[in-house]
Amino acid sequence: MKEYIPKIREIARKLLEEEKVDAVLGFRKGTIPMMNEPFMARSASDVDLLYWDSNCGINLANYLHKRKEKIAVVAKGCDTRNIVNHIVENQVKRDQLYIIGIPCRGMIDRRQILAMFEGREIEEVDEDAENVIIKGDGLSETIPRVEVLQENCSICIHHNPVIYDEMVDEPVEEPDHVDRYDDIKAIEEMDPEERYQYFRDIFSPCIRCYACRNSCPLCYCPTCFVDESRPQWVGKSIDITDVMTFHFLRAFHCAGRCTDCGSCERACPVGIPMRLLTKKLEKDIRELYGYEAGMSLDERPPLDTYRPDDPEFFIK
Amino acid sequence: MESVSGEAGNFQVEVVNHPRYIDPDKCTGCGVCKQHCPVDAIDEFNQGLCRRTATYIQYAQAVPLSYTIDRDACIGCGLCEKVCLAQAPLYDDHENRQTVEVGAIVLALGNEVFRPDELAAYNYDTHPNVVTSLEFERILSASGPYQGHLLRPYDLQEPKKIAWIQCVGSRDVHHCSNSYCSAVCCMYAIKEAVIAKSHSHSGLDTAIFYMDMRTMGKDFERYYRRARDEYGVRFVRCRVHSIEPVDDGNLSISYLAEDGGIEEETFDMVVLSVGFQTSKKVRELAGKLQIELGPHDFARTSSLAPVTTSRPGVFVCGAFQGPKDIPQSVMEASAAASAVGTVLSEVRGTMTKSREVPQPRDISGEPPRVGVFVCHCGINIGGIVDVPAVRDYARSLPYVEYVADNLYTCSQDTQLLIKEAIEKHRLNRVVVAACTPRTHEPLFQETLIDAGLNKYLFEMANIRNQDSWVHDDPEEATEKAKDLVRMAVAKAALLEPLRDSEIEVKEGALVIGGGIAGMSAALSLADSGYHVDLIEKEGELGGNARKLHLTWKGENVREILEKMIRDVENNPSITVHLNTELKNVDGFMGNFTSVIENDGKEETIEHGVAVVATGAGELKPDEYMYGKDSRVLTHLELDQKFLQDDPELEKINCAVFIQCVGSRESERPYCSRVCCTHSVQSALEIKKRNPDASVFILYRDMRTYGEREDLYHEARAAGVIFIRYDVENKPTVSVKNGKLQVEVIDHVLGKPVMLEPDLLTLATAIVSPGDEKLAQFFKVALNEDGFFVEAHAKLRPVDFATDGVYLCGLAHYPKSIDESIAQGQAAAARAMTLLARKKVEVSGMVATVNPFLCSSCGVCVAVCPFNAPSFNDRGVSEINPALCKGCGLCVASCRSGAISLKGFDEPQIFAMIESL
Amino acid sequence: MKDWEPKIVAFLCNWCSYGAADLAGVSRFQYPPYIRVIRIPCTGRLNPKFVLAAFRHGADGVWISGCHPGDCHYLEGNYYARRRFALLKSLLEYMGIEPERIHFSWVSSAEAGKFVEVVSEVTETVKKVGPLKYFMKKRPEVE
Repeated sequence: MKEYIPKIREIARKLLEEEKVDAVLGFRKGTIPMMNEPFMARSASDVDLLYWDSNCGINLANYLHKRKEKIAVVAKGCDTRNIVNHIVENQVKRDQLYIIGIPCRGMIDRRQILAMFEGREIEEVDEDAENVIIKGDGLSETIPRVEVLQENCSICIHHNPVIYDEMVDEPVEEPDHVDRYDDIKAIEEMDPEERYQYFRDIFSPCIRCYACRNSCPLCYCPTCFVDESRPQWVGKSIDITDVMTFHFLRAFHCAGRCTDCGSCERACPVGIPMRLLTKKLEKDIRELYGYEAGMSLDERPPLDTYRPDDPEFFIK
Repeated sequence: MESVSGEAGNFQVEVVNHPRYIDPDKCTGCGVCKQHCPVDAIDEFNQGLCRRTATYIQYAQAVPLSYTIDRDACIGCGLCEKVCLAQAPLYDDHENRQTVEVGAIVLALGNEVFRPDELAAYNYDTHPNVVTSLEFERILSASGPYQGHLLRPYDLQEPKKIAWIQCVGSRDVHHCSNSYCSAVCCMYAIKEAVIAKSHSHSGLDTAIFYMDMRTMGKDFERYYRRARDEYGVRFVRCRVHSIEPVDDGNLSISYLAEDGGIEEETFDMVVLSVGFQTSKKVRELAGKLQIELGPHDFARTSSLAPVTTSRPGVFVCGAFQGPKDIPQSVMEASAAASAVGTVLSEVRGTMTKSREVPQPRDISGEPPRVGVFVCHCGINIGGIVDVPAVRDYARSLPYVEYVADNLYTCSQDTQLLIKEAIEKHRLNRVVVAACTPRTHEPLFQETLIDAGLNKYLFEMANIRNQDSWVHDDPEEATEKAKDLVRMAVAKAALLEPLRDSEIEVKEGALVIGGGIAGMSAALSLADSGYHVDLIEKEGELGGNARKLHLTWKGENVREILEKMIRDVENNPSITVHLNTELKNVDGFMGNFTSVIENDGKEETIEHGVAVVATGAGELKPDEYMYGKDSRVLTHLELDQKFLQDDPELEKINCAVFIQCVGSRESERPYCSRVCCTHSVQSALEIKKRNPDASVFILYRDMRTYGEREDLYHEARAAGVIFIRYDVENKPTVSVKNGKLQVEVIDHVLGKPVMLEPDLLTLATAIVSPGDEKLAQFFKVALNEDGFFVEAHAKLRPVDFATDGVYLCGLAHYPKSIDESIAQGQAAAARAMTLLARKKVEVSGMVATVNPFLCSSCGVCVAVCPFNAPSFNDRGVSEINPALCKGCGLCVASCRSGAISLKGFDEPQIFAMIESL
Repeated sequence: MKDWEPKIVAFLCNWCSYGAADLAGVSRFQYPPYIRVIRIPCTGRLNPKFVLAAFRHGADGVWISGCHPGDCHYLEGNYYARRRFALLKSLLEYMGIEPERIHFSWVSSAEAGKFVEVVSEVTETVKKVGPLKYFMKKRPEVE
């Protein structure tokens, strides 16, 4: 996706020079391979630092809420869905944004690549349309990118921005027959005891660092429920009930709002697949209410609304 | 009521209180008397389908919840007196006569249902499985004879097939003299069929046998369609000949089908959809009151004054005024209240007394000091729960300073004890463990107020209704009582004094729309002494009524309209703004500031309430050659000709009316309610001008509801020909050799009939523009048909969910002039409930936002049904306590934990959970 | 020694299901004594936290009951609540809470009979599934 870089810079330069925006939010190349970092270009001289490749997984919507200035943002499919969500939830106004749309082909999973070459230093990671090329320490390997995509990207069905002011390229093809919920269905098949043990094993490494929360564009409350003190009803410990309660409620707060951008899992230092919870809710909401998060500026999230004939099979 | 003397403003009414034999002031409603009563009597409330005792209460929701003795059934055993620890039975209770002085009288006498005993062919009195619709209501009811299980009386088996027979005792001059339509039976039959299906365990088959399906109320047509298409209720258009018993309690219905053939079908049970009639007692009462009755023994009223009887100062509402459904009855009830307000406006407030209460004690900074009072409720609690043990247990709980147990905690002397204890022990929280807060919380809160404590420092533990009465194991019930007391004390310790705030209500009213409904509302408000700004977007008052000829009662609309306009214009309390539109609205209940614009000039109006009476219009159709041939008119266009007394009308030899033009179709699946009556009346007018004219009405269902049915009779007698058509087979209109030709498939012959009218009138739909802007101004909702949505379809038909804004006229739904006037008066009455108070007391149990925690996500604004939350100028949510009803929906929806609900706050509920 | 008996928390809306519970009393219907009612104004008031907290504090089952759709005292509260409940129940079960532990119903204030049927059913199912095994608060262990 590096071919987008000139266009991104061109758009950014024009916007800044013409003072259409106060800043352009995008990525610059990181000092460590596969670690591009969010970057705010505030003048035309910053523009050449803007960068794009398959290591721009951080959801830039997370940097938008409560901003006052007029801002352009480089946004891939999921980012734009979170922007939609932000606009609907009054975190930012549509007219203060200039959305530079990225037709996204998916982000690569840094953790997976590091694991593949464990113990060897990777100095450079390059890419072309089909492959990822890993170099360093007597190392030069070419891997098909589909094999090292982030899991959420490999099942993504909204690669293209759902809202934008300008696209950097033609939309990419979006798959229409992806089963996003293989893993969820497998868990649903288990019996309750197994499910509990499964999640206990998954969540027990959690150190309650809240990186998942902090990286999530949906988590913008001034005070998080885990920090409430009156009543302080969920303990701040790594006791498994406290941990699972935290993850339960975090997921619940994202219900109908989560775009499966994968930020939470990217950010987790201990590799907890917490998307198993958000995706479960995503699946339920799609099945029950036919709703997908962040697709329309005219709709509030599904828990903010109702239909008189909503399903109630579970109610006596 | 025995007699009435005097006159409007000064009536003396002699009333008789019949003895109850149980003192309602002492009775706690515990029902021990009933449990011991040995008598077996017929339960009239359940339509005789089950039995009751002689000491009884009609139904569990009755107010007051106190028992009475049926002395006709009572055997005088004296048991109830022995078992009642409250000493409530009064065997020597007697009739009590008194004279009350009142300024006005409202008659809400209701109707009785037709008794089908006389209809031998229906076998009602000989077969238990032929029931009336009222009996069937009880069968379906959870508190009915079968606890809501769908059973038939004959063998108490679940029926698999039920039939409803419509128009039993209505539209019938052969078996009874009720020629009118009872207006509610079609809808209730459909409802009963749908509910019966949901109560059935085995795919109940339901069929409704009817002549015309009259679902002309708001959203009724949709319900009818759903019943037919989704629930599979069958509708059989026919005339029922007889209902005959066959084997196993089943019944065979023989009927004359539409094509003239006799058919038969067997059912497990038959429901007779019985109509309304004025009872003999009510007729006698009307005689004593000296009010006139109409031809069908309903109170005589006029379209201009639909709730005013012939005797000044006496008003009427509900089914005694004419057959009608709940929403219409509720509207008229408010309209009658408004009419009374008009008569008595000068003396408003002169008899009110205010109560002296001590200044509440400031408890801030005090640690909780909880007093716990545990009630024995005679033996109702004490007989099962070990009350002293619960009392002693309560003493061990944190913050509890004082405990007591009482025989009746609700008795007068215990209130004094509680008051003393509060004062002596400086209690600042009170817990009563007793019956239920739903009936007794207000009483105990009063005691707190008298003792100088804020009433919200009170909590109840429900150890009677939800413990001793429902568990017979003393040990388990006592354990549960202790748990409930512990939870209540935990919550009580966290209760805070709350202040009921007061909101000033601005004097005036803004009425939007100067049609019949708007003028009716404005006049009622003004006659009750309130200032009204009436805005009308056109250059003159009157709206649609300017184009109408006659009311269904035959009154001249122009006369009504002229009188109303004159009254409005001459009323010093009404300021009329013509050619004026609403530009902006700010504020809320009691405090609106609106900007109106007239000819480019803006004016600001301050008002306490608003009435939406923006009306609706007539559909200009694009079918049946309308607009292409000058002989094709709409109703209003024909009325114009009547109003001008167009000589051409006399020359009409053949007139055709097509009903349901644009109504009851997929695009507009509602009935426009007034058009059937309108067509029948216009047909008669044509006949009047030329008795030899052939007049045809092509209809789908004739919906001349209520006493409008008389017109339908009259039209048939005058030779108007009614041809039914199906929506799948609509009439076609063409012009051939200059002649207008209407072709329709005759439903009896099944063959096309060709008519060549000189005049074709289209009964076109009433359509609402769906005023989105207005809806947003007042934060009220529009339905999918563009009509405004009232707060509750049945019980609050003129209120909006948003307080302080009211609705009337066609903006609500199509309706006739008398109905619009009644609804206008009703809207005025509802508005006056606010205006008359000058200040509104707002409960302290409301939600509040902590601005530092608010994330501005807007979920509270989105979900609140009452529009209480809004964003303030700092962009965070703020809840208007005047609009908040305290439901807590926003609190539970707020992810940020920024909203708390006083009285049911997070810490309080958690305290209960934690003390499980 | 008595058999184990379940502890069930019932969150009942003030207007309908709490009224039904009262009416069940007036009607002297008998039902198992293991529910502890917490009165809330509306099912819309039910924060999912309450349910997690109830389990945390040792409830073996939770039952939430309110007005039938269309009958909400606050017009729409139960409609919103219904969506919240659907997801709450689904996610709880997904994370290992047995479906037998979490129940919802619509019971009007006239439906004392239904109230008793539901209490009995809820009690029976919770009893069958036994004491809560997970999601309760562990007191810190002190050596």
